[in-house]
Amino acid sequence: MVSTTPPRGTTEQLGKGARALYAILGAVAILVAWQVVSLFMSPALMASPWATAKALASLAGEGTLWIQILVTLKRLVIGFAVGAATGLILGILAGLGSRLRSFLEPLRWTGMTMPAVVIASLAMLWFGLGDAAVIFLVAVIVIPVVFVNTVAGVLAVDRRLVEMGRVYRFPGRLLLTEVYLPGIGSPVMAGLTLATGVAVRAVVLGEVLGAMEGIGFAFSRASSLLDAPALFAWIVVLLALMGLLEFGLLRPLKRRVMRWRKTET
Amino acid sequence: MIIFDHVTKSFDSLTVLQDLSLKVDDGQIVAVVGPSGVGKTTILKLITGIVAPDKGRVTVAEGVVGYVFQEPRLLPWRTALDNVAVPLRAQGMGKAAARSAAAHWLERVGLKGFEAYHPAELSGGMAQRVSIARAFAAGPRILLMDEPFSNMDAGLKESLIEILQGMLAERPATVVYVTHEMMEALRLADRIVELTPDHALRELDLSDRRAAAEEWRSKFVPRS
Repeated sequence: MVSTTPPRGTTEQLGKGARALYAILGAVAILVAWQVVSLFMSPALMASPWATAKALASLAGEGTLWIQILVTLKRLVIGFAVGAATGLILGILAGLGSRLRSFLEPLRWTGMTMPAVVIASLAMLWFGLGDAAVIFLVAVIVIPVVFVNTVAGVLAVDRRLVEMGRVYRFPGRLLLTEVYLPGIGSPVMAGLTLATGVAVRAVVLGEVLGAMEGIGFAFSRASSLLDAPALFAWIVVLLALMGLLEFGLLRPLKRRVMRWRKTET
Repeated sequence: MIIFDHVTKSFDSLTVLQDLSLKVDDGQIVAVVGPSGVGKTTILKLITGIVAPDKGRVTVAEGVVGYVFQEPRLLPWRTALDNVAVPLRAQGMGKAAARSAAAHWLERVGLKGFEAYHPAELSGGMAQRVSIARAFAAGPRILLMDEPFSNMDAGLKESLIEILQGMLAERPATVVYVTHEMMEALRLADRIVELTPDHALRELDLSDRRAAAEEWRSKFVPRS
């Protein structure tokens, strides 16, 4: 029989441990810089890491921390899900049909050009203060980001695989699940990652401008009360939230979508 | 049965096939030889129906078509087994049944034990064998092959031609097979048709294969 040793993909990469080590060093460097800068600035302008930690502990003790996080998380998740699903579906349809793609182009352009603060103002005008306005803002901000990446993904799907599917008479559903959806995995994941960051910024903006609860609102209140430790505590909460989304949701999802590549994520 | 009736096909302004007529009977193995760019692959695509003729008619017997492309064209995100099973799933077969049928054909091409490998983990020759297994798993009435051995070394090609002959004995099909290697065609084919750059189709006389080989060789090796 013929030789049967499969070549394994090899890419020059740092080991998992080394990557984690450098990432931790980077985080420590930020903490040290923060501490050093806080020594030279008035505590009213910049809270030290320690003061921030105490503020965080007291917020957690009061229970407001968890309530605000839940409020924000709910808006973020709903807005993101609606926006991502809309962007994905429209992106697939526009990727497959050049007429729809051209038809949606002005809308895409408008969506991507419109400053978030303008959308936020309109959302408040239409929906009043609160959940609906913030969710609307997040969804509208997320749609074009996911849309653009999905369209690019569909256009980059290997035509030869599509032809193979046609030769073997794949029904439309199979062509979608076996060729197109896995084919767009990589750019769509990139779009979702980008959209997550955009969504968190949008939810905070929406809550600063147009809500009476949530992390953005709490942040804005701490700011107007000149409460630096609380202000920094809410910043830390935001970063933690981003981390949660990235490592708890996006990375596992990406690993699942990209499983077949068997390379580092 | 495959019938080309005065078929003309152009891509943009480039005429690839002109007034081509060809009849292939059920169960025949026909090799199409000729230099690059004379429309050999286009003949295969016309048979699948994914390309339509500009003029003339292509009539093909009802039934599944298996296609071994020049490159493997496997789904990179699916295992070897699932790649072989996918034409059966396209025909409506359940996942488990399709897989067990696929396992048989994967074994036939010598890849037992590689079921769970992804295409990126296979060598080019192995991936091409998966592609051949996929074409057979489809249960083809017509099997089309586009230079299936072009990326393989001589030893591998040799063993694969034998495997292929065995597979065709197990599941007979009408075969149209594109190659530029005459020796390969002489081994596998019942008939050999040559496409020439001036769009003519010439059937080679295979009543004496040795003479045919000799004649072919003389076209490229000038006699002293």
